[in-house]
Amino acid sequence: MRGEPQVNDMRPLDRSLDLDEAKITARDVQVYYAETHALKDVSIDIADKTVTAFIGPSGCGKSTFLRCLNRMNDTIDICRVEGTITLDGQDIYDPRVDPVQLRARVGMVFQKPNPFPKSIYDNVAYGPRIHGLARDRAELDAIVEKSLRRAALWDEVKDRLTAPGTGLSGGQQQRLCIARAVATSPEVLLMDEPCSALDPIATAQVEELIDELRSRFAVVIVTHSMQQAARVSQRTAFFHLGRLVEFGETGHIFTNPQDPRTESYITGRIG
Amino acid sequence: MTDISNSPAPAAGWTTPEASARLRRRRRAETRLKLVGMGAIGFAFLMLAVLIGSLTLSGWHAFTQSHARITVTLAPEYINTDDLRRSDFRGLLRATMAERLGEGEAAAAELRRMGAILSNGAQSALRERLVAKPALAGQTLTLRVPLADPYDQLNKGLIDRDTPENIRRLSDREIGWFDALKAEGAISRPLNFGLLTNADSRFPELAGLRGALVGSLYALLTCFLLSFPIGIGAAIWLEEFAPKNRMSDLIEVNINNLAAVPSVVFGLLALAVFLGWFGMPRSAPFVGGMTLALMTLPTIIIATRAALKAVPPSIREAAMGLGASKQQVVFQHVLPLAMPGILTGTIIGLAQALGETAPLLLIGMNAFVTAAPATPFDPSTALPTQIFIWADSPERGFVSRTSAAILVLLGFLIAMNALAIFLRSKFERKW
Repeated sequence: MRGEPQVNDMRPLDRSLDLDEAKITARDVQVYYAETHALKDVSIDIADKTVTAFIGPSGCGKSTFLRCLNRMNDTIDICRVEGTITLDGQDIYDPRVDPVQLRARVGMVFQKPNPFPKSIYDNVAYGPRIHGLARDRAELDAIVEKSLRRAALWDEVKDRLTAPGTGLSGGQQQRLCIARAVATSPEVLLMDEPCSALDPIATAQVEELIDELRSRFAVVIVTHSMQQAARVSQRTAFFHLGRLVEFGETGHIFTNPQDPRTESYITGRIG
Repeated sequence: MTDISNSPAPAAGWTTPEASARLRRRRRAETRLKLVGMGAIGFAFLMLAVLIGSLTLSGWHAFTQSHARITVTLAPEYINTDDLRRSDFRGLLRATMAERLGEGEAAAAELRRMGAILSNGAQSALRERLVAKPALAGQTLTLRVPLADPYDQLNKGLIDRDTPENIRRLSDREIGWFDALKAEGAISRPLNFGLLTNADSRFPELAGLRGALVGSLYALLTCFLLSFPIGIGAAIWLEEFAPKNRMSDLIEVNINNLAAVPSVVFGLLALAVFLGWFGMPRSAPFVGGMTLALMTLPTIIIATRAALKAVPPSIREAAMGLGASKQQVVFQHVLPLAMPGILTGTIIGLAQALGETAPLLLIGMNAFVTAAPATPFDPSTALPTQIFIWADSPERGFVSRTSAAILVLLGFLIAMNALAIFLRSKFERKW
């Protein structure tokens, strides 16, 4: 497993939290897949510059909720979302909001590393290119380098930027996907079980990275591993059967859960 | 209530005779399956070998053509100085042959038979030479001209000399003439490039596939230019943009049905619509290509949709998650990844179109046309309809030419399929 980080994350009460600033606010969110009511009455405030973890048993709706935050659910025909979700006070389901632009502001990293079958450079440059973030080649180069550095991948790939992204190892591919996501300078980074396909060493690298990314973005991470939630997040939300059961500081959730279902889950009785 | 612990445990004996018998049965079943599969493959290959073998056996004669070398003096009495084209080349050649065979004072009927040793192409060859260079009048030329079909058959050993003379294609006299020429070394049998460079002709020794090849090329080009963009466009819309409802289901079912419609029906449609309503030219490769495009469209649409479906959703999600619009996702990611499948489907569709006969017959592409089409709007035949025409012709020479034409068609099909495989492996990308 990973060595102890600088700050002992298992002593959550020591952690400093910036609780005032809610980046994303969700109120009474309902999600239906055709007739199935997948997500019920979810209300949550996601703080800026904080890692928020969503935990819960399989099928509890945590990924579904994550995908509401950048309207990825729009691509599923049978999916219907009700309630309000705001980003910086603006309703993201407002018809005037273009989901294409929203997704540039709310980046996403997926469960399975999914680099494009293009070069490493083109993978990272794709987002800035389609959004016109760079005026010339030099600016684009700078963005690519900065993003790869942020994803802690620059030193490993700087000599082979033209090599295909799919030729990297699993952990490198996932960090490439993170670099690709941060290249559009998003404000929020959504991660859907980003380490589930990685080995422990790559997982540790990505977790360290998440901790660094917190200084710039609001990070929301869905995870199956409670240890991971405890290690990387400041706040944790526990979902069960489509409901948000409990949400609070990670330390409180893991040491002093208020709801019996949360306690059952973190002690391994359900899930 | 029975006590479970008291009931005898199921015999897990892997070494009992029953168990080994079971195992043997399973092995036998597997061996049987393998043999049946190998038998099926073997049978398919045997049939293929029989097909290619019989075609080659009867077709290889058409890849050579007997020629005679003759020396002609363009004597002034045969030449029409007012119009060189209307000179009496036939008479000249008859006289030349008579002299050559040492029968200078022959009767008119004999002369005609001697002239018939050479193909009619000999006269046109002579005419071309003279018209191109009028100064040749009065001079002596040496030409190599094709032999007429019966003598070509004789040279290839396809006429049995032991057949009684009254039912033989050539009389003893004619065979004697041929043998005399052969003994002089005037008869040669070079590769028959005319098979590819000549257009169709009434005379087998002159008939070639040029018109059919050019006609097929124009038709396929038209077919490709119409069906490729329309097919891909339709497939992209159906697969990526169309709302999934009753209407799109209906369209899908209809496209799948369309792929199964017999080709002759498309021919009738083209006859009624293209020729009947719009008055497009009969026998034109352009119209043939439009008809073939109707047939190829469903194939391309189905192949393209399958290829689009096969692109992993993770790639779409990745692009969409970065804020790419639907159109960017499709054109920058999905379509390039689907390209190998689309190209393979398209080429297979075109190969099918290349061999299609029935719809072309209905729009008159089985006409007898003795010149290759200069534009796609000129009348012409196509490879399969040319085969159809030749197979119907009574002359012996067309028997081997039909087989040879089929071999040429098969050659093109194999080349197209090889191209499909090449493109597939070239554009295939791993993810």
